[in-house]
Amino acid sequence: MVASIVSTGLAIGCIYALIGITYNVMFSASRVFSFTAGTLGMLGGVLGSLFIARLGMPVAVGFLLALAGGVLLGIVTEIVAVRPVLKSLDQHLYVLSTLALALMVQQFTAIEWGTEARPFPRLFDIARGGFDQQFWLPMLACAGVIVGLELLYRHTLIGRAFLAIAEDTYAARALGLPERSLRMASYALAGAIGALAGFAGGEMLLAFFGNGPMLTFYGFVPVALGGMGNNRGAVVAGLLLGLFQQTANFLVGGIFASVAVFTVFIIVLLARPEGLAGAAVQRRV
Amino acid sequence: MSLTRRQALKSAGAVIAASSLAKPAIAAKDPIPVGYLPALTGPSSSTGVGINRGIQLAVQEINAAGGIDGRQLELITRDTQSDPTKAVNGAAELTRGQKVSVVFGPVNSGESLAVVPLLARTNTPQIHPCWVDALTDPQKYPMCFRNAPTNQQIGSAANRYVMEVLKRKKVAVISDTTGYGTASVNAYAPMLKAKGAEVVYQGNVDAANPDLKPELLRMQSAGAEAIMPWSVNAGFLSRIINTRGQMGWDVPIVGQTTLGSGQTKDLLEKPEYWAKVYPNNFRPVCYAPGGKLSDRTSAFLDRLKSAKIDMGDTLLWWIALGYDSPRMIGEAMKNVGTEPDAIVGYLNKLKGFPGVYGDISFAADKHDGYPDDEVVMVEANSLKDGAFNLAPGYSA
Amino acid sequence: MDTPMIQVRPSRADALGATSTFGVALPFLVLLVVGIAFPLFGGGYWGVIATRACVYWVLVSGLNLVVGFAGQIAIGWVALLTLGAYTTSVLVAGNVTPELSPYLALAIAAVFGAIFGLIVGLPALRLRTFYFAITTLGFATIVTQVALAWQSVTGGGVGVAGPIFPRPFDSQWGFYYFCFGLAAICTWMTANIAASRFGRALTAIRDAEVAAEACGISKPALLGAVFLFSGAVAAVAGGLFASLQSYITPDAFTLDLSVLFFIAILIGGRSSILGPLLGTILLTVLPEFAAPLVAWSTFLYAVLLLVIVLAMPGGIAELLDFKNRRPLESGRAIVPRPELLTRLLAAPAEAGALTLEQVALAFGGVHAIDGLDLEIRSGQIHGLIGPNGSGKTTTLNVISGYYAQQSGTVRLNGTALPVLERHRRAHMRIARTFQTPRIVGSASVLQNVMIGGTIDGQGTFVESLLSLPRHRRDEAMLRDTAMLALAAVGLERLASVRADRLQHSELRFTEIARALMLRPAFLLLDEPAAGLSAEEIGRLGALVVAIARAGTGVLLVEHHADLIFDICHHVTVLNLGKNLAAGTPAEIRSHREVVNAYLGG
Repeated sequence: MVASIVSTGLAIGCIYALIGITYNVMFSASRVFSFTAGTLGMLGGVLGSLFIARLGMPVAVGFLLALAGGVLLGIVTEIVAVRPVLKSLDQHLYVLSTLALALMVQQFTAIEWGTEARPFPRLFDIARGGFDQQFWLPMLACAGVIVGLELLYRHTLIGRAFLAIAEDTYAARALGLPERSLRMASYALAGAIGALAGFAGGEMLLAFFGNGPMLTFYGFVPVALGGMGNNRGAVVAGLLLGLFQQTANFLVGGIFASVAVFTVFIIVLLARPEGLAGAAVQRRV
Repeated sequence: MSLTRRQALKSAGAVIAASSLAKPAIAAKDPIPVGYLPALTGPSSSTGVGINRGIQLAVQEINAAGGIDGRQLELITRDTQSDPTKAVNGAAELTRGQKVSVVFGPVNSGESLAVVPLLARTNTPQIHPCWVDALTDPQKYPMCFRNAPTNQQIGSAANRYVMEVLKRKKVAVISDTTGYGTASVNAYAPMLKAKGAEVVYQGNVDAANPDLKPELLRMQSAGAEAIMPWSVNAGFLSRIINTRGQMGWDVPIVGQTTLGSGQTKDLLEKPEYWAKVYPNNFRPVCYAPGGKLSDRTSAFLDRLKSAKIDMGDTLLWWIALGYDSPRMIGEAMKNVGTEPDAIVGYLNKLKGFPGVYGDISFAADKHDGYPDDEVVMVEANSLKDGAFNLAPGYSA
Repeated sequence: MDTPMIQVRPSRADALGATSTFGVALPFLVLLVVGIAFPLFGGGYWGVIATRACVYWVLVSGLNLVVGFAGQIAIGWVALLTLGAYTTSVLVAGNVTPELSPYLALAIAAVFGAIFGLIVGLPALRLRTFYFAITTLGFATIVTQVALAWQSVTGGGVGVAGPIFPRPFDSQWGFYYFCFGLAAICTWMTANIAASRFGRALTAIRDAEVAAEACGISKPALLGAVFLFSGAVAAVAGGLFASLQSYITPDAFTLDLSVLFFIAILIGGRSSILGPLLGTILLTVLPEFAAPLVAWSTFLYAVLLLVIVLAMPGGIAELLDFKNRRPLESGRAIVPRPELLTRLLAAPAEAGALTLEQVALAFGGVHAIDGLDLEIRSGQIHGLIGPNGSGKTTTLNVISGYYAQQSGTVRLNGTALPVLERHRRAHMRIARTFQTPRIVGSASVLQNVMIGGTIDGQGTFVESLLSLPRHRRDEAMLRDTAMLALAAVGLERLASVRADRLQHSELRFTEIARALMLRPAFLLLDEPAAGLSAEEIGRLGALVVAIARAGTGVLLVEHHADLIFDICHHVTVLNLGKNLAAGTPAEIRSHREVVNAYLGG
């Protein structure tokens, strides 16, 4: 029983954390949260199922194509919904434009892919065990992304440029960094991470269009609680969320679990609007 | 004609377009408009898509055979998108805008609950296949008929099978959180108790919950000897079946007909998990122990095959149900004309209309037309051409 | 509709926009007539659609104040519809209480809706935009989950029958007129708010929050009132929705519905009543014309939303705003009439002083101001100069309550000013302008100036809602004062022009007019001459001198040394947050260090 809660909770938590990182990577590059973060996760699952299960491609090819789909949506998000409204950040138009894009992708998927949950293929043909691939795949993906991002940010030039942009856009531009290309690259990276989340969690969440709004919400909880742009915070908060949700599922049953998660989310957020690990920012007049 | 969902949508659109353009050319007499309110898209659309194939076929056949006294049936379809709000708009348009003579559907209970009282106010005869008991009431809705079983009949058959054939006394009843699911659990648990069973687990679970293991573990630790799931959500049902398989728990699953749908099958981790799953079905569209269908049904199956209607992704009983509805109304119109009161008067005296799906009989004080005995349980893994073998324990 | 709604009566000196009350009310009158006569030419089916449009508008009208006016991105407002629908239905059905009359049930639903609207809305005071949007989505999910779970009351997933209103509202058209009547009342009430100091204050919170605070507008109180109202009408809409549906289950309250409400407002345009009204009608009716496309309707709404955001942020309202497309007169000059100031600032503030004693503030180790002493006396102009980063604007922000000093005191007539609490500065008659003008671009110049007098209104939110006499008196008083202020700064000819069409220099004078609305005892001007031509600087100087002569103490932060030396009584020179020098202009001009450092010898 406890083993089931822990394995499912951690696996789901890793998916939430990955979506949280997707939010963060976009945010770092543009100071913008995008409603397409969860949509990317949904798309990763649907594309994986489409390429591997329906079109019969090899797992590796399907995986790369699903990530490519995520990258594409990431770039489209940047071009269509973010870049045009960055000039007037204080009007918060990005909330509307990214919402519109997320709705479009979701409705398109609902109509072309169907509104039923469809199976996601088993990626490795190995026998099911207690600690199955549907649990360890999301964890592996999450660990991989964390390590990968650390290496990228610490040890590569482009990674340091990302950090510089996140730290201070104006200063970075003054240094001659190609801000626009870096932002585009960040969105592409975020797209890949989001799609990876959906792909790795495909067996658990199935290829289902309704996963989009669900992940958009639950994926934002780690961002809000872990602090904006704080990937480590997002992972810790994501894992806690997954465990909390599965425990609540078990203790109080399905309907009340989501009520419990939301209530905790609201209370924590109202008490600490900057997140559990974040610091208050002074407003400029 | 092989219909996918999208083609069905297009054809629905085409029917509307054709009706407005080609009206004068069709026949010397005006066509008879009949309304149809299925959910062809949206989350509960698989039933609607299946039923739609039968309805379209029946209307084509009736019209090809010369229609009703030379008048063509004009089927006006409004997709409800599984949304009660759209269903209400659609019902208003069909009755007040298009002035249809009769309405088929809606095919989902959530939509029917809203539409039935509205149609009652507009004096439009209605035939729907929704199971929720309250959806017929000869006093409140004198023009509304059901040519399908009630929840009561469905649940009784499943309960009877669990208790009398499988001889299980400790039962777990589970559903998703939809209207249909919760209503079923609320109705069936007391029925089981009344018959002397012990309901050791009763719950409504969010269908999107990826992990049902905690629920099944609770059932197991409560000593459940049978699981009775009530949901039309294939994802939810397959998770129950898969979890049972992963746990290696040898317990029969007896319940909703969707347990046997192709979509549920697609979501199973291993084909063998489908063993010992007994969904509801209906005797006239099932293979008898010898693997044979009844004459009436095999003739229907031949017609479906010659019309090239796809059976792979749907269930025979949905198509049969859809097919019977226009034929029953056509029968009434041939006999008494198209006036609402006349149609209702005819249906009130209908005795044993020979449907593929079952023999339908109504009375003035009984608008539930489906016979009790035809509701049976089947073996899920015997699915072939949309039909099943009767579950072990039924006689021929 | 007899609408005192748009009371921007043409100003006496209005040369550009010939707005008449009739012209503004005309579209509403047309809609009213069409609505009343609708049963004559609409079939029974269109009656259902028209009723639905009315029901949705009852909700959207209230949500419009939240989204369109206050700019709060409340996406999940369907939660309130659900709450109202269930409350009404359950009370009428008698599941928890004896069966109530539908009217009483609707009234109780309105009360519940108001309370819940406050609960859903209040996180907006603490959370950033995106966070708030997500929490409203969360509320929408939760309400549905509760409706599912609380089976004994709500019927769970099986649902509950909607209420049927008694005669004469039980027939199709009877019910239509009931909904239409409520929709008309909601239009009237929200239009009253839109044209009141509360409506203007909401747009100020949306577009220029800092300026709103400086004008004494209390965001919590105002948003609270709006959330109460918006929640109440949304719940009433829910009760009507349940009756129209005849039966409600949780699946009827989809997120798509929430998106529809939200998009109707944005298509309509911000700070407009007519636009969102047309948007609601459009989105309710459109799917009925395109039956084969119906599955794509949400997709098309989303496309529409994206197009609106990217290409036409003003929405329908801006399309219909013909008046503001006429070109403005070119080569226009700002000609202040300082003589009007004595009328505007009629009651000269009693003589006093605003003093800073040893005020210090550091940001992360950097001393922005470091032990600053300053005294601004009534009727005098005090100049504050210094290089960039010497702490001029920081000083101003400490006085007006945006920053809390770490030591030292700011006193007004001897009493210490509370630290922070910026919106209380206006009540103490301390007004200010901003380095970058903070204005509401979509509002007229007159409305922008009227925002400055918000705290002088006497009527309550409810009085404005119902357009009671006190509200009308407030509006007349504010409008007259604002016209006077505009005339004083020389902008009365532009009173009815959208503020975002003005030139930079005109915006500076608009801000001064807005600040004058407070009849300030002390006026803080943050680089008012930046971006002005030499001629304009001269007129600005004369205006500031006249303001001081009328009794107001002025703190003038400026780079233009000439202006400072021309008009100031005292000058303080800052360097690295400290007083470098202080004295009369003549003394400063001959101060050796100052001359060396800043005045270029």
